Amino acid sequence: MKFSTKLALAGVGIALLATVPWWGSAVLVQFGINALILATLAQSWNIIGGYTGYPSFGNSVFYGLGGYGVAIAMVQYGLPFPVGLAIGIGLAVGFAILLGLPVLRLRGHYFAIATLGLAEVMTAIVSNLEIAGRNVGLILPLVKGDVLFFELSLILLVVTTLAVMWISRSRFGFGLIAIRENEQAAAVMGVNTTLYKILAFALCSVFAAVAGGIHAYWITYLDPGSAFDVALNVKMIIMAVFGGPGTIFGPVLGAFVLSAISEILAAKVTSLASIFFGIVIVAAIVFMPRGFADLVRRFRQSGWRYFQENIRTYRV
Amino acid sequence: MQLLWQILVNGVLLGGLYALMALGLVLVWGVLNIVNLAHGALIMLGAYACYYLFTGLGWDPFAALPVAMVLLFCLGYVIQRYVLNLIIRAPMFNTLLITFGFEVVITYLAQIAFSADFRTINPSYAGANFSFLGATVPLVRLLAFAVALALTLGLWLFLEHTRIGRAIRATAQNLIAARLYGVNPRHLYALTFGIGAALAGAAGTLYGVVSQINPYIGSGLTGKSFAIAIIGGLDKSIYVLAGGLFLGIVEAVTALYIGPTYTDVVSFGILVLVLIVRPTGLLGRTA
Repeated sequence: MKFSTKLALAGVGIALLATVPWWGSAVLVQFGINALILATLAQSWNIIGGYTGYPSFGNSVFYGLGGYGVAIAMVQYGLPFPVGLAIGIGLAVGFAILLGLPVLRLRGHYFAIATLGLAEVMTAIVSNLEIAGRNVGLILPLVKGDVLFFELSLILLVVTTLAVMWISRSRFGFGLIAIRENEQAAAVMGVNTTLYKILAFALCSVFAAVAGGIHAYWITYLDPGSAFDVALNVKMIIMAVFGGPGTIFGPVLGAFVLSAISEILAAKVTSLASIFFGIVIVAAIVFMPRGFADLVRRFRQSGWRYFQENIRTYRV
Repeated sequence: MQLLWQILVNGVLLGGLYALMALGLVLVWGVLNIVNLAHGALIMLGAYACYYLFTGLGWDPFAALPVAMVLLFCLGYVIQRYVLNLIIRAPMFNTLLITFGFEVVITYLAQIAFSADFRTINPSYAGANFSFLGATVPLVRLLAFAVALALTLGLWLFLEHTRIGRAIRATAQNLIAARLYGVNPRHLYALTFGIGAALAGAAGTLYGVVSQINPYIGSGLTGKSFAIAIIGGLDKSIYVLAGGLFLGIVEAVTALYIGPTYTDVVSFGILVLVLIVRPTGLLGRTA
């Protein structure tokens, strides 16, 4: 497929999605908002995890900070929503830079697990802050309008995807990919690796923060447990990995497919959806370690042998 | 001063248990190069095995410990042999993520099987305690500490002095050379992971005796185990013991002087600090 055809297809897809609130049921629209926000999170994770090769397990912190920016601004100071979003973005970017300076020096396991503890630490800190409503949480002013939130989330996802598209073909993005493939070589080639990594981390925090802000305003309630939910980290990573990390549309595809399946399962038993996620992770890593996008590309050549080949590559 | 002494005693007793928790994680990490994020979930399963042997069959928790270890060993062996062995050479992120998947599956299956309620294991001697140089020492905590210490020592002796132990260490050092000497890596990897899981099962039994349990305790315990592994380094089981004692004391002191909600923040802060200053651990060799 030519790039222009792909772009036209994507345009048609977005236009169709935008009309959903006008004909879809309330349940579908609410599911849509959740799926769009998860897709945004998966896509923003893609910047640091997929392109830069730093698998962050702590991105829900940015999401939570975005939510708290909005909630504190609106509830404690009576400021309008956009100002709250700006504050949330400021908090998240500031945190990404402060945290990134020490943590992005770590590699491999060490980076992943240094970020893994973040969500619990933030929960503990925010539970003790008076301004954030301690562990009781904050109740935001009520706005009726799932349509508005659906369109906002859709716009956010499109902007995030455009950012990823720009990364995949810009000098900055090539720098990130070079860091992922071989950090020392990238540094030798003149890439300012520290700066690039922190910029990537900050950029991904912006989108996650906006997603958190929109979600908080939509749900009109925020508490430390749900804002810095560890399960959210799992979901965004799985969606990105399932779809194909380091690709433009993979994470979005992964988010839509997995959201839909888990929605159907959760309708029966809530914990079934979580178990399903776990099984998908295990199966995906064994059978398609390079994601759905790679499966689609290579399945035509190798057929069912594709799965066998993957296992043969990595087993003892 | 009296209070500080009591806190130190509490910290040391807790630290021994922490060390046992981390031991299995360190073994698997060192030999298989897998950071097992499901380690805490295995600890949780060990605790529930003890809980059901205690409430269902009326066994003493310390008698249930070997049974929990055997059960967890079998589970660990199967997981490694039939799943993890398939991806052992994949990039680090994949192995990390797949154990994360196991964590999620185990946790939520446990929620269905055991319900989300808090459980406690209360043997008849649960309230017994005695005085040691002015500090109160609860009997169960001391017993848990002693068992943890004994198992740590036992693992060290096993790795140093038995044929399988030597094969495990050889594999950790050089897989190809170990193969040439007749080590079957598939079996040996599974065995190592099984031993790691058995240690998690033992730690879970002891944890269940001294604390409340529910299906979600796993991820927090994985975090703690990891922090201890980083503080102590991956080289020797005796260092893990030092790391565990250190974290136990730090947590007890934090709870007293800063506040019990901040224990995780402080231990995480130390973890990040150590990672940045000395990524091979405070006591470990420099890479």
